[in-house]
Amino acid sequence: MEQAESFETDFWKHANLRKLWDDIIPGQPRQTIPYTLTRDAIELYCASVGEDHPMYFDEDYARTTVHGGLIAPPSIHILLMFACTPADDWMRSPGTVNAGQSWSYNVPARPGDVITLQARALDKFIKRERLFVVHDNVFFNQHGEVICSGRGWTIRPQ
Amino acid sequence: MTSRSKKVMATRFEQLSAGDAIEGPEFAVTRESIRLFCDASLDYNPLHLDDDYMKGNFGKTNFGGIIMHGMNNFGLISRMITDWAYPAGAIHRRLETRWIKPVRPGDTIQPKGIIRSKHTTARSRWVLLDVMVRNQTGDKVATGEAMVEFPAA
Repeated sequence: MEQAESFETDFWKHANLRKLWDDIIPGQPRQTIPYTLTRDAIELYCASVGEDHPMYFDEDYARTTVHGGLIAPPSIHILLMFACTPADDWMRSPGTVNAGQSWSYNVPARPGDVITLQARALDKFIKRERLFVVHDNVFFNQHGEVICSGRGWTIRPQ
Repeated sequence: MTSRSKKVMATRFEQLSAGDAIEGPEFAVTRESIRLFCDASLDYNPLHLDDDYMKGNFGKTNFGGIIMHGMNNFGLISRMITDWAYPAGAIHRRLETRWIKPVRPGDTIQPKGIIRSKHTTARSRWVLLDVMVRNQTGDKVATGEAMVEFPAA
């Protein structure tokens, strides 16, 4: 299973394999990779946005809460999106501009969860001379529960 | 990089009303904070890494240098909501955001939320908030809306 350790950080490397706006078919599922969420990955994400609630760090505290143990902050899907996306996917095309996103939250992600993503392009259109693709995503945990679902508007480089 | 959030609003559903506001801590954007967000999100788009690449034009747009990930705004808004909701036993259920202006190294940004309305449905209670992030000159860099559930006692 591909994990963050082997994550390709050069987004140019597979650029020639990636679909252009013309090639993207709305409705067609994207290939995705299961991802095991770790405490380290949660803590790194928390550090990057200043999340400091003990619900994410302090196991003794988290056990006393309604969640019964450590959880990840809801916005962890920011990491999950790229962690579950293969290197040749159009979501990683250099110059992809994110114009906005909307997310709905069901159950929290937890350290140790094996997370899967069901994703597709949902729509594509041209507006103000820009090439838009709307992507549609649902993350599940290993029990088949929905963690969160969301949609994003991207402007394609070509 | 950040200070602890201020508690500026009551968190009991009954006591909340339209116009009540919450704030998250200020966030200082640096080349290092952007690089950390690359590592944390696995989003290594050259928009956030490569100054030479960013000298070029993007269709109709020229950014002039690297910019912060739009989703960093999203993360700051989300943190503001959960830090406010957790003590009330409330649950962050939805967040939608749009980016208005790029954020660059040297900017200081801060999220804010203002209650728009409250709703009671068949099974629960909801607070809708207008959310935004402003930079140090008061310009909005991101706007959106959020929905927080206050389960009936």
